[in-house]
Amino acid sequence: MNQNIDLLTLRSVSKSYGTVPVLHDIDLSIRDGEFLTVLGPSGSGKTTVLRLIGGLEPLTAGEIRLDGQDISRMPINKRPFNTVFQDYALFPHMTVSGNVGYGLSVRHIKRKEIASRVSQALELVQLGRFAERFPAQLSGGQRQRVALARALICQPRLILLDEPLAALDLELRRQMQEFLKSIQREIKTTFLFVTHDQEEAIGMADRICVMQAGHIRQLGTPHELYYKPNCEFVARFFGENNLVAGKLGPVQGEQRPIETALGRLVCSICDQPHLKTAPDGVSAFAAFRPEALHLADAKDGANRFSGTITDLAFAGSSTVATIMAGANDAAQRLRLRMPSRIDGSALKSGEMVSLCFAPHEGHLVLA
Amino acid sequence: MSRAGSTHSAEGRLSQLVTVLAFALPVIFVLVPLAIFLVYSFFGVDQGTIVYAPTLSNYVRFFTDPIFLPVFWNTIVLCVSVAVICILLAYPAAYFLTTLKGRWRYALLMLLLVPLLMSYVIKIYAIRSILGLNGFLNKALVALGILDQPSTLFVFNMNAILLTLSLLLIPFAILPIFLSLERIPQTLLRASDDLGASSLQTFLRITLPLSLPGVASAASFVFVLAIGDFLTPQMVGGISGFTFGRILYSQFGTAYNWPFGAALSVALAIVVICAILVGERFGRSRGTSV
Amino acid sequence: MSAPRPSTIFLAAITALVAVLLYSPLFVPIVSSFFTISHGNVDWSSPTLSTYVALAGNHEILAALRTTLIVGLCTVVLSVVSGTLLALYYHGRRFGRSYLQFIIFLPFLMPPIISGLALLIFFREIGLERSLLTVVIGHTVFVLAIVYRTVLMRLQSMSRTLVEASYDLGATGWQTFWRIILPNLSSAMVGGAILAFALSFDETMITILVTGTQSTLPVRLWAMMRLGFSPDINALVALILMFTVLLCVLAARFLIPRQMATERT
Ligand SMILES: Nc1ncnc2c1ncn2[C@@H]1O[C@H](COP(=O)(O)OP(=O)(O)O)[C@@H](O)[C@H]1O
Ligand SMILES: [Mg+2]
Repeated sequence: MNQNIDLLTLRSVSKSYGTVPVLHDIDLSIRDGEFLTVLGPSGSGKTTVLRLIGGLEPLTAGEIRLDGQDISRMPINKRPFNTVFQDYALFPHMTVSGNVGYGLSVRHIKRKEIASRVSQALELVQLGRFAERFPAQLSGGQRQRVALARALICQPRLILLDEPLAALDLELRRQMQEFLKSIQREIKTTFLFVTHDQEEAIGMADRICVMQAGHIRQLGTPHELYYKPNCEFVARFFGENNLVAGKLGPVQGEQRPIETALGRLVCSICDQPHLKTAPDGVSAFAAFRPEALHLADAKDGANRFSGTITDLAFAGSSTVATIMAGANDAAQRLRLRMPSRIDGSALKSGEMVSLCFAPHEGHLVLA
Repeated sequence: MSRAGSTHSAEGRLSQLVTVLAFALPVIFVLVPLAIFLVYSFFGVDQGTIVYAPTLSNYVRFFTDPIFLPVFWNTIVLCVSVAVICILLAYPAAYFLTTLKGRWRYALLMLLLVPLLMSYVIKIYAIRSILGLNGFLNKALVALGILDQPSTLFVFNMNAILLTLSLLLIPFAILPIFLSLERIPQTLLRASDDLGASSLQTFLRITLPLSLPGVASAASFVFVLAIGDFLTPQMVGGISGFTFGRILYSQFGTAYNWPFGAALSVALAIVVICAILVGERFGRSRGTSV
Repeated sequence: MSAPRPSTIFLAAITALVAVLLYSPLFVPIVSSFFTISHGNVDWSSPTLSTYVALAGNHEILAALRTTLIVGLCTVVLSVVSGTLLALYYHGRRFGRSYLQFIIFLPFLMPPIISGLALLIFFREIGLERSLLTVVIGHTVFVLAIVYRTVLMRLQSMSRTLVEASYDLGATGWQTFWRIILPNLSSAMVGGAILAFALSFDETMITILVTGTQSTLPVRLWAMMRLGFSPDINALVALILMFTVLLCVLAARFLIPRQMATERT
């Protein structure tokens, strides 16, 4: 496996149900062996992307290439992909081993081989003891693992998972996240994992593809998405963020100022050429994370402004302050996150404070 | 939708065959016979042979002859009465079932529905013997002192038809009423109790209105089954219990006038369709899925 | 526990009355299959199985019973095969579904006298002599709606992703049909078959209209009823009742618990 080779490519893929367009001109490359997460709010078209790749729905336009070959018209049962369905879709009349072995037995593989591969797969998902149970006799997490084993056993090139953890409770979901990740590392198969939960996406993915309203907004590593969102949607959707609207000023090397209601804020534009070429005076946002914002001291010069603390919330390891900053008529609500301290917070509600963030910790997104 | 994998030609031919069958079966065996039947009602009869020339004479005869319309009307009244009796008996029983818990509820429901599956002809026969002069009903009434001597009031007349049909059709009324009562969320009743309503008030203002759709389907069910029955009246109706179904049947037997029988069937079908539509219209539960 | 309320007692009394009314017509023949009845009085002192012995010798009735069973089995096979095909075909939106579904339901909704007479005229027009074949066709047309509906409801409660999962795992259309769809429908098909058999077994009105010289049990009984029954008929009725209850329990087994199981999955 080589993570730099594209396994599957979607080129200008569009999909409409009747006259209703659902996906608009999607381009997406999935690398061999990676764990790619498709993240987006409900209704953004994630399931549709998965169904198109799996062959459960025909494309309206565009093409899907596997190893460079067009497979847009290849029937479902010929595609070397397997799906873990959102409702698991376990066959209720078959035992666990019947379910897991189904993909092999429809290919007329010998019984003996099926039996040994089924027990291997069940060992992998730690369900060896449950081989003769029926799906109705299993818990949610166990059914989930049966569905996974059933998809793995055919050794597909790509495993498609549609919100497989959505039905599980929080604790179980955490365990399953780690479990899935460890299995993916072990079998080194490419996973395409759909979720609407950004924490889940950050925790599991090698790369994340953010979707909204049938468009791909950004594709990148969790780190890139977190620190270099390329649009307002991603900046707001992905983790907590402070966004302050303004107009861009002239480029200053790897930085660029933006004139906002909080004054001139200087942000990094490192490795983001489109921010360098954007003309002066264009509307944009300064974006900085709550943990980048801190109380200013004497030596801080840039990106300094004052605000009033309106609320303090203790959140375990950190404390979050809500701050109203700037002049009254253009007050901005900001959040500041700082490590909690055993002797109580240094901040007090109602206090007026001076705040700042370092230019390299702020970035710009075009409006 | 899901596209089947390999397009084996056998698989394709089978699916074509299924498509043809899916349309042909219902059309050939249901629609065509009914259509021919309808067409027949516009034919005439001359000395025992059917004249294949369009005429309205059958319908004219139905509306002008002094026999048919009154019998038609009496039969409708009879069947409405049957529906009313069935509902009066079935509603309390169905209500009682819903007050029971879990397994008892369904066991008792089963018990009340099993007679439905029991031989129809035998039931009619048994009921006739119960209603007869030497039957159990007369014996009981005499023993209770209600009658001085056995009466022929209950057999071989309209009363007999009414009683027999009611007895036969009660289960058909119990089921829809039970289902509609069961669908009423218990929380609604508890909410009403909480608001201080007495159980009678709760029943009259919550349960009864919400169960009316079930009553409507039950009534339409029973009515349709009763009006289509020609065996029961023939068996227990004697000479005075003459219903529309019997007249209709006789056109295909003794009277041997198929076209006229077909016209009578059209009249019957219209009444039945109206009853079904009324049942549908009022049988739709409104807002019970809270 | 407090004493039951008057309203509860009233309801229970009506329910008991209904039960007595419903069972009294069944009670009469069963009692008389074991005891002699003369002039409306049961002679409790001498139980006997003579009626059952007499029944075993009544060739006419046994022949009618055999005919009924043959007709019932043919009806079951025809209606289950075509009902399942129709349900599979009309499951999912297809052109003309609501109209054709209405047509399928017509014979069940219409009074049997209308369905029966329509078929009678139809058979005459196409030159098909009245025989057991016409009876089987009549029964099939009549019970088809029930089988169709039972199977269709199971199909609708079946998750669509099951079929998709099967294709996804590499199965062909045939494999998916035989290994996923059919096993999931089988209990509904058996339940539908039992209902179809029960309906066919007791069907009288359509049968009377379309039957030829050979008649089924209900029609035979109907013909005998004008003259009054011989006592061995009571034995037959008692046996049929037991058989019916058995069928009923079986049907409930096939139709109810599996549905609950699929709901849980
Ligand atoms: N079979 C369908 N017919 C019509 N519209 C559909 C169908 N499936 C999905 N859609 C629409 O497509 C959009 C995207 O759906 P989906 O891919 O399921 O979103 P997600 O999985 O991100 O929640 C939604 O607006 C949905 O209503
Ligand atoms: Mg989805």
